[in-house]
Amino acid sequence: MICRPALTRGSQLALRSQGAAKLAQRGFASAAATAASYESADINSVKVASRDDGGPTTRLAIVAKAGTRYEPLPGLSVGLEEYAFKNTVKRSALRINREVELLGGQLASYHTRESLVLQASFLRQDLPYFTELLAEVIAGTKYTTHEFHEEVESIIHAKQAQVDAAAVALDAAHAAAFHTGLGAPLYPTPNTPISSYLNEHSVADFADAAYSKATIAVVADGASQAGLSKWIEPFFKDVPATPASALSALSSKYYGGEHRIAKTGSNSVVVAFPGASLGANQPETAVLVGLLGGQPTIKWSPGFSLLANATVPGATAYATNYAYSDAGLLAIQISGSAGAVRKGAEASVKALKSIAEGGVSQENLVKAIARAKFNLLSGGDGNSTGLVQAGSNLIHGIAPLKVAEAVKALEGVNAEKLKAAAKTLLEGKASVAAVGDLHVLPFAEELGLKPSAVVYSRLAHPHCAYSSDPRPTHFPMSVTKREAREIAERSSWGFGGWACASRDAKLAGGASRLREPFLARNGARIPAERQRNQRRRKRRAGKSRTDRKLTQASLATRCSYNRYLAVAARVVRRSLKEEHRLVAERRGQQELRFAKWTGGKQGEVKNLAEANAEAAVESAATGGTA
Amino acid sequence: MPIAPSFAPAVLKRPWLTKLLMPVAQWYVNAAGYRQMGLRADDLICEENEQVLKALSRLSSKESYDRVYRLRRATQLSLQQKILPKNEWTRPEEDIPYLSPILEQIYAEVAEKDCLNTMTVAKEH
Repeated sequence: MICRPALTRGSQLALRSQGAAKLAQRGFASAAATAASYESADINSVKVASRDDGGPTTRLAIVAKAGTRYEPLPGLSVGLEEYAFKNTVKRSALRINREVELLGGQLASYHTRESLVLQASFLRQDLPYFTELLAEVIAGTKYTTHEFHEEVESIIHAKQAQVDAAAVALDAAHAAAFHTGLGAPLYPTPNTPISSYLNEHSVADFADAAYSKATIAVVADGASQAGLSKWIEPFFKDVPATPASALSALSSKYYGGEHRIAKTGSNSVVVAFPGASLGANQPETAVLVGLLGGQPTIKWSPGFSLLANATVPGATAYATNYAYSDAGLLAIQISGSAGAVRKGAEASVKALKSIAEGGVSQENLVKAIARAKFNLLSGGDGNSTGLVQAGSNLIHGIAPLKVAEAVKALEGVNAEKLKAAAKTLLEGKASVAAVGDLHVLPFAEELGLKPSAVVYSRLAHPHCAYSSDPRPTHFPMSVTKREAREIAERSSWGFGGWACASRDAKLAGGASRLREPFLARNGARIPAERQRNQRRRKRRAGKSRTDRKLTQASLATRCSYNRYLAVAARVVRRSLKEEHRLVAERRGQQELRFAKWTGGKQGEVKNLAEANAEAAVESAATGGTA
Repeated sequence: MPIAPSFAPAVLKRPWLTKLLMPVAQWYVNAAGYRQMGLRADDLICEENEQVLKALSRLSSKESYDRVYRLRRATQLSLQQKILPKNEWTRPEEDIPYLSPILEQIYAEVAEKDCLNTMTVAKEH
């Protein structure tokens, strides 16, 4: 019998001696060939992936297409996960528990964004018992009401309370990046209203849709192919061939954007970019992750990785590529105390920018490639990541990774390719999530990331006061709809379509449409503004070339439209009767301040109302059109 | 597992015996008088024990509410030394076991736990 440590050691040695070329030739040491990668098979229409290193223990798992991506209602994946190994039609949860204890086995159920995994680890000779158990769990669980109330619900609540800022931030980054599907939170927070969706009936329906021969894969690590084919056939007889109802399978689309969530206790910022999906040929992303790194791999040293060297004490930062079947997310996660997280986030983006500017030394590149290779080769080795990945590949119909080719691709990455990849990331839309003390945590724009076009377009209305500034939004890119509405309401200043709920903006708009006849009819005293308007209209009628230029110039002048609105509104207010006027004057008070940015520097902060008044006086004095 | 020792299953297995004893049983149920107070047979199960309390907690909210209503009405009637008007008596088809199936299930769970706690393992491999 060949024991596993010996094989692992062999593959490490092969890697260390830079034997990737040799590796490519022989595709792993011949003795290791069976152990290195999962071989897929179809046993009685059940998809099975297995590998056998002849060791004394076995891990057997059912990977179902029932992760949070596929759940039709929030919280169902979590519910189904907690219902695993509960009462079945044949035996009780207690009996399952005691029997497994007697056999020295371990049961686990967990989920990723795409897969739900029921896993059993046990001694090799107990394969029949555990095959039967797993099949019984997916085909015969009763989903009883009392178990839901007495066991499932309370455990979900306890786990919800443990969701920390890092997890919330990662979920928020996924939500910003993918909206629905992959954007669904991995674990609902205590604020997520799952109680209206999650009950034993909805979980049972979800189980019918998730557990069928078409939507599951059985993955075995350390079980012989013969044993599997002997036992899977009889025990998986009762598993339905097709799901009772199809789960949504919309393909993922990357959006990008920013989320900010206030939370006490812990702080986290996630900066994410489109990454490499499962089976995608993107060696640059893997090397980028290796180069950014973050977690030290050598004791008592931060190592060479950029993030480990960039972050300040009090915060940890690391880069990961979250690979899914049809999309990927390259995420830099920074967590720790608020101040340190802010500095860490700034430093991380700076590190990424330095890569995009080609500031990576050849030595670091070699190290990064070596680490990427190690990550690739050790990924399927001895831990459950490889198990889940093998199952996920099977249920999503992705060809398993060709190790030799992938290693070759990694070796082909050079500084130029890496630079181009980092540049593409920085030029695209980022997904940024900040969770914790929002007073301290930075906005994406402060980090120097591209604003998302989706959010930006809401602000970049042609009438926006800052549209001609070099930095187009004075507000950070991520002003949410709610915040923007608040700003608009506070300042009585319309941003555009949805912000026109402000009463003053409506008033001003009405006046501008009515213009001269209305004012004249009311016999209002109109100082310079009216004359100016009259002049402007006359000129427009004349359509002379210079005049048009002047008009454009005056439009392009900052605040011109808003100033015009303010002037018109003031005129209307003054023309009102005394009792209405007092009320209307109060409405016209505004607190909005603005600053002009030139050459990347913020100018003086001025009050908009005062600036308008000044400009009006000035234009009246000069008789100009500005 | 029945909630109390009973001859009923043995009697029900034998049609001739069932036929013989049914009138007696019906007379007894009426004579017991709980139906005249609007109660069901399962309302009479003594609830001062852990298993019954657990079974009560597993009732649906509607069943639980109805049970409390029946008990309070019966208590009131008992205080007033009255019985319900005849049209409000519990009809035989209403007198269904709503608690005993749950109780049986709980007794089975307890028995299984006892068995598992006191078993001897015979190793086969």
